[in-house]
Amino acid sequence: MSRIEWRPEFATGIADVDHEHRELIEWLNRALAASVEPGVQSVDLAELLGEIFARISAHFALEERIMKVRQYDEFASHKQDHERLLDDIRDIMDTVESGTAFVPDQFVGRLTEWFSGHFRTHDARFHRVMG
Amino acid sequence: MNGLKRGVRAVFARLENLLDRLCTPAFNPLGQLGALGWFLFWLIAISGIYLYIFFDTGVTQAYTSIESITQDQWWAGGIMRSFHRYASDGLVVVAFLHMLREFGLDRLRGRRWFAWITGLLLIGFIYVCGITGYWMVWDQLAQYVALTTSAWLDALPIFAEPISRNFLNNASLSGRFFTLMVYVHIAAPLLMLLFMWIHIQRYNYARVNPPRRMMVVAVAAFVALSLLDPALSQAPANLDALAVSVRLDWFYVALYPLTETVGAPALWWGVILAFVVLAALPWLPPQRESPPAEVHLDNCNGCGRCFADCPFGAITMQPRSDGAAFSEEAVVEADLCVRCGICVGACPTATPFRRATALIPGIEMPAFNLASLRNQIETLGRDLTGDARVLMFRCPNGAAVATSPGVAIVEVPCVGMVPPPFLDLIVRRRLADGVLLAGCGESECYERLGIDWTEQRIAARRDPYLRDNVPRERVAVSWAGSGQVAMRANTLAQFSAALIAGAAKSGPSASSAAWRDTASRLPRPVRYAGLGVIVAASGLLLGFLSDTPAVQLRGADEAVVTLSFSHAGELKEKCRVLTPEEMARLEPNMRRPSDCTRARWPVYVELELDGHTVYAARHAPAGLWDDGPSSLFARFRVPAGAQRAEVRLRDTGRESGFDASSTAELDLQPGQNLVIEFRQPGGFSFR
Repeated sequence: MSRIEWRPEFATGIADVDHEHRELIEWLNRALAASVEPGVQSVDLAELLGEIFARISAHFALEERIMKVRQYDEFASHKQDHERLLDDIRDIMDTVESGTAFVPDQFVGRLTEWFSGHFRTHDARFHRVMG
Repeated sequence: MNGLKRGVRAVFARLENLLDRLCTPAFNPLGQLGALGWFLFWLIAISGIYLYIFFDTGVTQAYTSIESITQDQWWAGGIMRSFHRYASDGLVVVAFLHMLREFGLDRLRGRRWFAWITGLLLIGFIYVCGITGYWMVWDQLAQYVALTTSAWLDALPIFAEPISRNFLNNASLSGRFFTLMVYVHIAAPLLMLLFMWIHIQRYNYARVNPPRRMMVVAVAAFVALSLLDPALSQAPANLDALAVSVRLDWFYVALYPLTETVGAPALWWGVILAFVVLAALPWLPPQRESPPAEVHLDNCNGCGRCFADCPFGAITMQPRSDGAAFSEEAVVEADLCVRCGICVGACPTATPFRRATALIPGIEMPAFNLASLRNQIETLGRDLTGDARVLMFRCPNGAAVATSPGVAIVEVPCVGMVPPPFLDLIVRRRLADGVLLAGCGESECYERLGIDWTEQRIAARRDPYLRDNVPRERVAVSWAGSGQVAMRANTLAQFSAALIAGAAKSGPSASSAAWRDTASRLPRPVRYAGLGVIVAASGLLLGFLSDTPAVQLRGADEAVVTLSFSHAGELKEKCRVLTPEEMARLEPNMRRPSDCTRARWPVYVELELDGHTVYAARHAPAGLWDDGPSSLFARFRVPAGAQRAEVRLRDTGRESGFDASSTAELDLQPGQNLVIEFRQPGGFSFR
């Protein structure tokens, strides 16, 4: 099973953001772990995802505030990716919730890609510029 | 009180419904009254500065300088003068409508008393500005304003000498008075601007500019009015020969004729009583309130969205107090919170998809929590039947609507309280086929920004966005005030029909904005014609009432006798010269040659015309120690023609008899102002 590990280069130096990143990774790992447990119920997974959705919504909101305050130059595209991510996780949640054609492996891949993609690109740049 | 409020609200609801249809809600002037007030203020300020450049202070220069700019440069100064007058008249209309409407909508109780009280003060300022403005022209209206205002102010027991004595006759008039007027006429608007700023202090994103198109229409209408019915001076003021009648600007001096009929003191009591009652309205009765918004720090990371969206500035961001890793937290100022819940709609943690932990957002209304809101919509959704199941969020201030098996209503304090993820839940999980956000009339949200924020969140232009994959055909808005019940029912019917028709087709939304009923709009020519009628009617009203009808001041064959003095009666006790021994007993710095009591005798005066006593009264000395002059300014309307006047005065402690008296044979011309004045030395004079 793949886990997302916290890496020092994830650190932005902004305490609030780093704190939430760590928390989010923990919640994601919880969801990933749950998804491959034998006899996993899609309802339980959906609940975990709902939690992640709430937390990540708040996290993005905070990040966006910090970007606005610091006048981050790529705010618009970063914000757009946030909205795409929120849209995506909600679609993932709907798929899981519907229970049909739920394939744990696919789910893990989709969720990992969902999180890491944004992290590798948009967040990495934000961290570079802010850090 | 409630009945009156409902009545006012019903009248405004009808008017607003009409104007919504003619002007479209965005350009409904009744939704822009406050902003129009600001706009008119700037128009008045700009035209006033222009007029000030050419204005001369002086008894005759005041009138001639204004005549000169009105006539010689009618194309600039004349238009500016008309602008100045008509915009000022418009300001009175706008201010009173604004006040009446806020009263009708009950937007003055509870936390909103602040704007109401400061608004009342602003109305006072408007009158001070307007009255001093008319005074400066020094035409017949100015003379009427000067005499009546002076008489009104003289009824207050605070002036040692009546202000009216400045306006005895032409000879006594001083140019300095116009300098004073200019000073007041500049100082009052500046102070007023300060109060206008204070007036909107408790509002975030206060609207101080009407839409640009409305400003253009207003300026064009004022220019047209200025050309068609320019503001002109009446005949020059003349304190020696009084006019029979004067044309009034009824927006400013409508109450002035009352000083003549009910008397100045009664008018004072009336105004004071009106002010006290109006000022008490926010607490008649006090508003019952649920608890204010509450921040749950466990769920607040200090993102600031509630802070950005609160319409009443009740939320501030402050340093973190709970030791969490975040730098800020939201703090609610309970005294400013109106309990609209718009902050809840802005909170990113307010999502109904949270089930592993309790659904507690970062900020919440304790009396209206989100967990029960989620329960409610899930229960209601289950019971809905039919092909077009609609869940409706309705605020208490908008149009009422009937329920049906296909429609369930969720009452919320304001539609702006509904977080977008709730719409997502309803639509994507098919709790209903569509969701309808039913708020106040579009031209005015009771909680100010609920409509704007809801529209922008759905259109993904303001945080939190309603996510892309929620089809907007299933998310509808209905903005209908209490007078637009039919419109709301119609919108609901249209939306249900659209849901059934659109059920077959699926795919990406055509629009990013919410679904709205556009079918019932009036055709453009009808709207423009209606708008033209409204603008023309407003212009006619301003043009007419600004100088018509005239009031009759006295009969054509009447003259006026003015009796006036400012004269100190004799000291009640003679000064006593201190003996050297008495002086020696006093402290060196207290030594004085004589000891005087300060009190004076009152001055008694009588006036007889042709043997009839028209006036007889004692006038007490002014001053806290009764040591000032006694004074009098009184006018009598008398028939023109020959009269024998006898006037007598007593200013000592004698029981009977008089200290001064005089007799004159008068031949009064119609309109003549004969002044009988007593001065020492010199005695009585008849001029």
